[in-house]
Amino acid sequence: MSHPQDLSLREQAAAVAAGELDPGELLDATFARIEERDAALNSVVVRFPDEARRMLSEAPRGPLRGVPVVVKDMFRLPWYAPTDGAPGEAAPAGESAVYRRLRDAGAVIAGIGQCHFWGAGSTGHISAWGPCGNPWNPAHCAGGSSGGSASAVGARLVAAAVGTDGGGSVRLPAAYCGVTGMKVTFGAIETEGYTHGYSDMGAIGPLCRDAADARLFCEVLTGRALNRGDGRPLRVGVARDPWWANLDPEIERACDAAIDAAGWERVELSLAGAEHQQAAALVCLTVQSLPMLRPEDLAEADPVLRALTKFELTMTPVIVYQAARIRSLLRRAAADAFTRCDVLAWPTVPAPAPPIENPTVELPSGRAPADPGNLRQTGMGNLTGMPGISVPVGLHSSGLPMALQLQGPWGEEARLFDAAEHLEQATGREFVDADPGSRETGGRAQHQDAGLEAPRSYTSRS
Amino acid sequence: MDETELAVMRVADGVYGPQLRALVEADLAATWAEPDLDPSRAPSARFPAGTE
Repeated sequence: MSHPQDLSLREQAAAVAAGELDPGELLDATFARIEERDAALNSVVVRFPDEARRMLSEAPRGPLRGVPVVVKDMFRLPWYAPTDGAPGEAAPAGESAVYRRLRDAGAVIAGIGQCHFWGAGSTGHISAWGPCGNPWNPAHCAGGSSGGSASAVGARLVAAAVGTDGGGSVRLPAAYCGVTGMKVTFGAIETEGYTHGYSDMGAIGPLCRDAADARLFCEVLTGRALNRGDGRPLRVGVARDPWWANLDPEIERACDAAIDAAGWERVELSLAGAEHQQAAALVCLTVQSLPMLRPEDLAEADPVLRALTKFELTMTPVIVYQAARIRSLLRRAAADAFTRCDVLAWPTVPAPAPPIENPTVELPSGRAPADPGNLRQTGMGNLTGMPGISVPVGLHSSGLPMALQLQGPWGEEARLFDAAEHLEQATGREFVDADPGSRETGGRAQHQDAGLEAPRSYTSRS
Repeated sequence: MDETELAVMRVADGVYGPQLRALVEADLAATWAEPDLDPSRAPSARFPAGTE
């Protein structure tokens, strides 16, 4: 029999419910696989063998009974105080809404996913937990800020993980790690006990290996049915400027080819305000997060983040209001676009995951830090509040995943899952079923060859 | 502020500065910020299209 963590989320849940898979054995196998594979990745930075067994012993017969999952380091748990990837506690231990959803579904929380420092980066290479490696090449970034969640799913340590997305932090690591990640409509998953619940840019979301698993996990997290429809007859809005510009050529080709493979009708369009959306996203994120920082947080911060924060403190009230105007303009433009198309499509990231040692990417405009280009691709979803999903659509010549982002109208998560499932079928499921652990030249083998010191890892601090 | 911080801030300004300055200078006088912005839903139909 294959390892139970090679089964999908829905297969694990169905096998446990049918009595074909013992959930205790599934949990043991999960911890064994984390032990076996995660030293090279540092994705599950806190593990809960005792609490997970207690959850299992008390698990109701819900849709995920006995299925182990990972939760990003931004949620309160009754036995764990989240850190946001920084030293110390970001919030006290307690019950978050996400915890209650998982508990009531019968799921078992196996551990905590690594998080970029303060959740303020798209690479995951800066964190009090140490950097998180990519399952396709652990010397490269898993992404951020939900890098641990994405890497753990990509490496098949668990079949589902919870992430959060304030500026792309579910979709970006999903793209880097070759998994499916959904940022739900703002507020569709209750934010109580989420450390960044103060922000109207942030949303919670599932990370899974494919869209059907993500749909199931999203149903659990939202508490509502996301019924399956037909993802074939869609009109896809393609806004070239700025989202299809300055891309790695292989990524541009892969995303174009994926849309062609799906057979979707293309609608070329432009969105008013798009030229300022990246700056507006940066300003809105900054304005909402800076007041939450205490002086001691800044003193203890990573030196690069401390300097970036001081740069952000130079923003003026004028730019804050300008950003609010752009945000409104973009929301109206998106609403207008959805009268002409069903989903918007552009690449999730402009380039594949950069090396941890030097998190810069090569673009047609030259070598650049990864963060700005990533925010350009995902900030629109946070500014508008609309849902978005990142779908694997290829492997780059570097051996790293490539992904297409689909965004839909507010509340239309089901439409995005339909589209993603159709896209998977249209590409023969080649990229959602790919296993980095089985590649002769990929995954852990490359990490061993790279001679890198494994990122520092922690076991339970509870 | 030490030299390292200043260096990082200069890099950040080089990366983000031009776009931030363009945003400041953009002529958005006719564009309103939504007074009741609710990102969980589409903008209200009552809200002007943004350029009136």
